[in-house]
Amino acid sequence: MNVIPIYAEAGITGFESPAAEYKKLGLSLDQLIIKHPNATFIGQASGQSMKGVGIFDGDILIVDRSLTAKQGDVIVANYNGCFVCKLIDKNRARLLSASADFAPVTITPEDEFSIEGIVTRSIRLHHQSPELAACML
Amino acid sequence: MYALVDAVSFYASAEKVFDPSIRNKPVVVLTNNDGCICAVCPIARRLGIPKFTPYFKVKQLLAKHQVVVRSSNYELYADLSERMMNVISRFCDNQYVYSIDESFLHFDHYSHCITNWHEYGHKIRQAVWKETKLPVGVGFGVTPTLSKAANHAAKKLSGFDGVAVINSHISGNKILTRMNVDEVWGVGSKIAKRLKEKGVNNAAQLAQQIPKQIRKQFSVVTERTVKELNGVTCLSWDDIKSPKQAIFSTRSFGQRITSKNTLRAALVTHAATVARKVRQQSSRINKLMIFAANSPHDANYYKQALIYSFIIPTDNTCELANAVNKVIDSIFCEGVGFYRCGVGAIELSDTSFIQGDLFMSEHTNAELMQCLDSINHRYGNSTLKVAAQEHHQLWQMRRNFLSPQYTSHWRDIPKIKC
Repeated sequence: MNVIPIYAEAGITGFESPAAEYKKLGLSLDQLIIKHPNATFIGQASGQSMKGVGIFDGDILIVDRSLTAKQGDVIVANYNGCFVCKLIDKNRARLLSASADFAPVTITPEDEFSIEGIVTRSIRLHHQSPELAACML
Repeated sequence: MYALVDAVSFYASAEKVFDPSIRNKPVVVLTNNDGCICAVCPIARRLGIPKFTPYFKVKQLLAKHQVVVRSSNYELYADLSERMMNVISRFCDNQYVYSIDESFLHFDHYSHCITNWHEYGHKIRQAVWKETKLPVGVGFGVTPTLSKAANHAAKKLSGFDGVAVINSHISGNKILTRMNVDEVWGVGSKIAKRLKEKGVNNAAQLAQQIPKQIRKQFSVVTERTVKELNGVTCLSWDDIKSPKQAIFSTRSFGQRITSKNTLRAALVTHAATVARKVRQQSSRINKLMIFAANSPHDANYYKQALIYSFIIPTDNTCELANAVNKVIDSIFCEGVGFYRCGVGAIELSDTSFIQGDLFMSEHTNAELMQCLDSINHRYGNSTLKVAAQEHHQLWQMRRNFLSPQYTSHWRDIPKIKC
């Protein structure tokens, strides 16, 4: 009798990590914070006038240009050649602060004014960040 | 239907995005090393500031009009370009990004859904403006060449408001009669000169030429242009995309160079840049141009350019460095304060069509170059280099009027007053 030896093959070359499929699921802050990446820019707040809505000096602002401002939105505007963050009062064409120490500003036709975007998020850095340290000085 | 969407003086407009204080001011942007004006915003253009002029020549004119001067901020432009292209891509399923600020759109299957092209063009403009604060011009045409012509009209001709459409003979003629023949896409200055000698002065006259005759007198490229002006599409993305015919790396020095070794190091550094770019697009170099000069504004203008031919086309950085070494004695001249130098691959061939040589063995050493490229890709561009390259950049780019990197450095993000 001729025996033809055939080795049993299980085709096993080591198990794939069962976690491999789930690798991509790490959380991304961008995903949570930035809805329209092409229309969004990041700025830094400077000043005390928006404390009432929780924006403090040095906070990071996420500004979305693709949204249209509604009454009372926190916006970033170009006001006479300067980026400002205020509450927009569309009904009376005013810029409002979120602090009793700052009076409303009425926008006149002589002013250079355009809405740059809506502040959709603001980020408080409770520990100093080395990347930003230089600009806090 | 095709569209060409591009930014209005892109570099200058990009400077205004994150600096609201200069939105309504005249702005110009300077090239590498602050040598020349390369972008003029519309406000500055109306003041008569010329493009492509050496900066020092118009310094006083700029000061007189209080023009804002900026150095090229490539980091900012690259970021804004990407955003702009992404916004534009929403308006068509077939986009081809042609340059940093130009993108073609091809409306093929869905074009019947768009009934009013003019209105559609304004939608694109408004979206790009709202989301990126960059102004763009939109030209629609039946062929890529016509869309380019329409784009020219949209931005430059009176009576257009940033959008122009060529979808018929009549609308085409209105624009083409007002376009100089050298403003037609694909017509270079040499061909334009010859066309003008034949009495072909504007684009409409070029469109009336008989394509076959044009082919005989000029080339198949110009014949295509004539056909495209008549609404026959001849160009595909691949034609538009065709690999660069020449790759240059050149720059002027921050300080004059008077030593042979320093000049050699600068040239080898340029050679390394050229070799890297050549490898990126899978080409090989047949002929390499190596040149150095002082400034044309100097009392004794000195310029020396030599062409080095490789027997077997190469993409090897070391071979290019050797070529520089062989010609450096002929290029260098004692007593000349070199202001500018560079290296250019002026004749290229595709890696896949290389003819071997019976008597010469190849020295391209693809593995070594691949290793070099991957290390430099991973750790930064001058991590690994040929010893003959310079070690510290004496001739760092001069960028005296550089704006902050608003979108790529945390320390530079715009400040917003609260």
